[in-house]
Amino acid sequence: MQHKPTDIELIEQSLAGDQSAYAELIRRNQRFVFTLALRFAKNREDAEEIAQDCFVKAYRNLQSFQGQSKFSTWLYSIVYTTAMTHLRKKRVATDSIDDEDTFIQIENKPSGYDVNNVENRSRSYYLNLAIGQLLPDDAAVITLFYKGEQSLDEIAQALNMEANTVKVKLFRARQRLKEKLERLLKHEAKELI
Amino acid sequence: MNSIEEKLWNYIDGTCTPAEHAAIASLIEQDAIYRNKYNELLALNAEFAGMELDEPPMAFTYNVMEQVRAEHALKPLKATIDARIIKGIGAFFILTILALVVYALFSVNWHMGNMEWKMPKLNMPQLSGLLSSGVIKAFLFFDAVLCLYLADHVLRRKKTAKAA
Repeated sequence: MQHKPTDIELIEQSLAGDQSAYAELIRRNQRFVFTLALRFAKNREDAEEIAQDCFVKAYRNLQSFQGQSKFSTWLYSIVYTTAMTHLRKKRVATDSIDDEDTFIQIENKPSGYDVNNVENRSRSYYLNLAIGQLLPDDAAVITLFYKGEQSLDEIAQALNMEANTVKVKLFRARQRLKEKLERLLKHEAKELI
Repeated sequence: MNSIEEKLWNYIDGTCTPAEHAAIASLIEQDAIYRNKYNELLALNAEFAGMELDEPPMAFTYNVMEQVRAEHALKPLKATIDARIIKGIGAFFILTILALVVYALFSVNWHMGNMEWKMPKLNMPQLSGLLSSGVIKAFLFFDAVLCLYLADHVLRRKKTAKAA
């Protein structure tokens, strides 16, 4: 069986000048980084720009990666700061987690779905739609926790927050997601009747 | 802890203490409200965990690598060379120039014809005595060792890069 290099091995190879090793690191993390960027940007073009920017920044600073945390945790912290800078530039209000009034919902149609095609309207589709309606912080915490294979401590490290703050954020985010999902499904049920 | 939901989420996430864990487990077993809520949150948890990740465009990796390559191409030559080598070469030249200046100053005949003013007599070491064939041989030997050391350093780096 062929040995699959670890992230650390790929980083060492990249630092030694092997660009194909870095390309492999990108392939491993691109889906998650792109999804995370989408949670902040709310449209695919901006998300792509943020995600690309993150990987270029990570490459530039690869030498400063100490290996004390997982590569993914380090990468997600770059995604978070890059996305925040991007949002600040775009003047989208994302400061307060509790301020629902500042939330601007922008188009976030999950890829591969046709909204008019009722057959495609699975719970998974509505889940993605509901996540798209969350505040960027909430959506990021939920995504990091469920899909990023990150513990609460690692999420705290990536988002530069206290672990307890992340725990509270996660709890509130799940509550909000549950409410939004129920609202969407109720609305859909009415539409079908 | 505040609400039932918060307690149950902590229980599901495994972030509560062993004592809290045992207490909640017993509540789930005995209390129907807790049991129903627990089952509801468990289903929700499974649903959240099943969320799909979005797929970036096909050319995503290629585009990033193009940017990386472009950055490499734009990198000035001085940034690609080891700074220690530059500093070493600089130090060598500075020392050589200083040595030549000092030697020249000591070798100059400061006597100025009929002028009364005379340079104060300084007790300078006789450099001509220092630059004997032995010193020159030692200097060349040091240079050769330095060259071998640098060559070894370069070869080692190449070997490490190849092995990686």
